[in-house]
Amino acid sequence: MRPLAHRRRRGSRRVAALALCAACACVSACGGGADAGDDARAVALRGDASRGERVLALAGGCGCHTPEKGPVGAGGVAIETPFGTFYSTNVTPDEETGIGAWSDLEIARAIRGGELRDGSVEAPVMPYPEYAGMADDDLRDLIAYLRSLPPVRRENRAHQVDLPLPRLAFRAWRMLFAGHARPPETAPRDGVARGRYLTDHVGICGDCHTPRDRFGALERAMYLAGTPFGPGGELVPNITSDRETGIGGWDVGDLVNLLQIGMKPDFDNVQGSMAEVVDGVAGAPGLGKAPEEDLRAIAEYLKTVPPIHHRVVREATKEKEEDR
Amino acid sequence: MIRSKRATSAAPRAAAIGLAALLALSAAGGAAWADDKDLPPGPIHDRHELMEEVGDHAKAIGDAAKAGKPADAVKPAEEIAAALEKFPTMFPAGSESPLSRAKPEIWTQKAEFDDMAKKGREAALALAAAAKSGGDLKAASGKMFQTCKGCHEHFRKPEEGE
Repeated sequence: MRPLAHRRRRGSRRVAALALCAACACVSACGGGADAGDDARAVALRGDASRGERVLALAGGCGCHTPEKGPVGAGGVAIETPFGTFYSTNVTPDEETGIGAWSDLEIARAIRGGELRDGSVEAPVMPYPEYAGMADDDLRDLIAYLRSLPPVRRENRAHQVDLPLPRLAFRAWRMLFAGHARPPETAPRDGVARGRYLTDHVGICGDCHTPRDRFGALERAMYLAGTPFGPGGELVPNITSDRETGIGGWDVGDLVNLLQIGMKPDFDNVQGSMAEVVDGVAGAPGLGKAPEEDLRAIAEYLKTVPPIHHRVVREATKEKEEDR
Repeated sequence: MIRSKRATSAAPRAAAIGLAALLALSAAGGAAWADDKDLPPGPIHDRHELMEEVGDHAKAIGDAAKAGKPADAVKPAEEIAAALEKFPTMFPAGSESPLSRAKPEIWTQKAEFDDMAKKGREAALALAAAAKSGGDLKAASGKMFQTCKGCHEHFRKPEEGE
């Protein structure tokens, strides 16, 4: 029950699998995500772990990689998707089971390019297509922070993938859906530009708040409009500026309160995955530990997101209404 | 997600409606609750309604703070305190239900539940006092929210999943 579960829809998965197989036939080694040259540029300088902690907080604590009771970054969290059950990886600097023996470039490739050390492509459960736009400075600081974590010896668990030829499928998926981002060298410093950057490439709000298509790719036309197929079956609210179905009636202060302490305007608290994103998991910092000016930038940006009228309701409820 | 099969002729249609309604109530492992207009009369409906009112009063406090009119927060804060005095008495034995987000702990840890309601009530009264004396509304609101959150986390089921 973590951020990042993909939408569940029956019936179309077989089509998706066949299409991916077909795509495999024409897949070469060409990639998606960030370019390896950009990643080399990002790690040419040394990162700063304390600034990296801020990046991690803005990323909602990267909670998928931390078991509910810790330790931070140890991985092994089960993430259920329509394509199988995936297990997050150990991102602590343990030499044998974590990323201790990886070079900075290898870690950078994994985060922004979806590429693993052995040259294989990650399952897109890891939102590398969104992190592909993470700025070089934030990326190298985040890597420095990961290297500062206490190493935890914990073997990664193999994914239980419900797709034929998963390695090829993930490579095909990256080619078809990951896009080719050119990340900036430095993150935007303030204002709506910073808010947009944090929303799309660090906090990756759309990873849960934007619905996914049958391939598990984000439906860009429904950007941040919410989905009933959230992590663990959670309803994920519409956070576009639509007044009726989104957050159009909220002001920046309301949004900052939500991001900072998980408080809604009626003093109710967020629960489930969003509570983890705000509070962090097992002591890792979440959004609540990020600087207020960054949360304000996110809030100001969200207020500029075009409204999409989309009421998020449980499928069964929808059918009940249709049948009336 | 569970999807009901579409009925193609009239006869199975009634069954399909029944099934859809059942699914609506049983989605996410039985933990489904509808809008309060769908709740049958009784304690579940009443306490849901009361909490909706508390939410409205809380919003009014937020609006008063934003408008720089702390005096407008006094009444809603007192209303919340009054509601929280009544609230713990609205959980008679046997009013646990899939329609309700009340956790069994409300009945098994009654003393703790009552204590949390009391803490919430005290925080609301402190907020009213701060509003009257021109004190720090933001700080008082933050403290009250922590009592809301503390109780919800222990005694209320999450809305979906988990």
